[in-house]
Amino acid sequence: MRALRPYILIIVLLATWEIAARSGLWSPLLFPSLERIGKELWLFVSRADGWWQAWVSLYRTFGGFALAAIAGVALGMLMGRSEFMAKLLDPLFSGTYAVPKLALFPIFIFVFGLGSISKIALIFLECLYPMTIITYHGAKSVNPVLIWSAQNMGASRMRTLVRVVFPAMLPYVFAALRVALPVALIVAIITEMISSVDGLGYLVSYALSSLKTDRMLAIVVVISALGLVLDHALVALRNRLVYWEKLDTFYV
Amino acid sequence: MKTTLVRLSAVIAVLAVWQLLALRGLPDFVLSPVDIVKHFVAALGTQELYRDAAASLMRALPGFAIGTVLGIVLGLAAGIARSFDEILSPLVFLTYPVPKIVMLPVFMLWFGIGDVSKVLIIALACFYPAFINAYYGARATHRILVWSARNMGASEAEIFRRVVLPGALPQIFAGMRVALALSFIVMFAAEMINARSGLGHLIREAEMSARFDLMYVALLAIAILGYAGDRLLRFLRAYFLPWEESHT
Repeated sequence: MRALRPYILIIVLLATWEIAARSGLWSPLLFPSLERIGKELWLFVSRADGWWQAWVSLYRTFGGFALAAIAGVALGMLMGRSEFMAKLLDPLFSGTYAVPKLALFPIFIFVFGLGSISKIALIFLECLYPMTIITYHGAKSVNPVLIWSAQNMGASRMRTLVRVVFPAMLPYVFAALRVALPVALIVAIITEMISSVDGLGYLVSYALSSLKTDRMLAIVVVISALGLVLDHALVALRNRLVYWEKLDTFYV
Repeated sequence: MKTTLVRLSAVIAVLAVWQLLALRGLPDFVLSPVDIVKHFVAALGTQELYRDAAASLMRALPGFAIGTVLGIVLGLAAGIARSFDEILSPLVFLTYPVPKIVMLPVFMLWFGIGDVSKVLIIALACFYPAFINAYYGARATHRILVWSARNMGASEAEIFRRVVLPGALPQIFAGMRVALALSFIVMFAAEMINARSGLGHLIREAEMSARFDLMYVALLAIAILGYAGDRLLRFLRAYFLPWEESHT
């Protein structure tokens, strides 16, 4: 019984859904049964077009995410290891941290066009903040004894950064990646819902405007599964690389 | 004075370069900082900006309040009660990496296209950071502190109020800060996708009619609101947690 506990609430929710769907109180447009959602899900998975749309969304997500990861780690390292850079850049980041970068999207559309580039640019900007701020804290908290030892043994500045500072802040880098990855996916989906002709976000709003609720929910399931799989993959990668510190798939 | 000058130098430099580039001529969709401020001041004299800002806040703030209160209460409960934890937490952690905004169309079907669906989607998005931070804050309470309090004759309620809660507060504030930023993002997204008022609607309308000045006014308004909310939260944090040094 105790082993079943984690599943109770999930099962209860699914059962409530199915009962509500089959009770006939609401139109199937509002509560399509799990069976119909499953059927639509199968239709989506079994056709090449579905995979193509998922790939478009993933391509945008990873494009912006990867760029932000590289730039954010570089910036965070720079700020963490140089007092001057920290003083210079910190106000810029903390001042604009709480501002929703999504508001820039219409301007980005004018600058970068309606295609993928404006979306990737926005994902980059939105992910850059958590990446930079968390790696900055990581680079600051590197044990100075490690750096002194490296310098004492004649390591150059560059070598100290690559061989000592970077591995020491790796747990922070992964914490930052873990915050940034769902953000990247969210922004990709939002921007596709606002203005796009392809991608999963577009499919959601298209299914809604054609009142295909079951199809819309099937795509919601696909997006949710993507979010979950990406997160678990990231944690698996982290446990591989940061083998001296284990982490379960729960939130940090 | 001198340190503030150094700290602000990067911001000033960016604005100065931007203004100089604007003097040399920029495309239509990039306004110079001085022009943006001019348009913003002009818009402050009209009714529309206040109406849209108020409409946006009436969505973001109730959503933020509902989501964080539920998240903190349930998170603390799951953090201290084992059986509750085992039932609730798996669902929360399973759905955590799911982008909550995809539920907006579903909510629009269930609760209509009005404000209710927007408030609820904001509440849903704010729930997660509030829950997770309160949960880990409560779980991180030092055993020895609890034992000492119990040893000194404190009741369970007293232990919660005097030991667990103060210990979890820094984490709770961290969660609220994330939730506040998130509430603005989701509000904006919801308004851009579907709304008849609000700053997100204003920016979308400005975009459609190529009114770049209005776009920047809405942008600046949302930036100021987001910044002010964050400052307010940090001020509250410093007030309630005088022993904690605040960091960004």
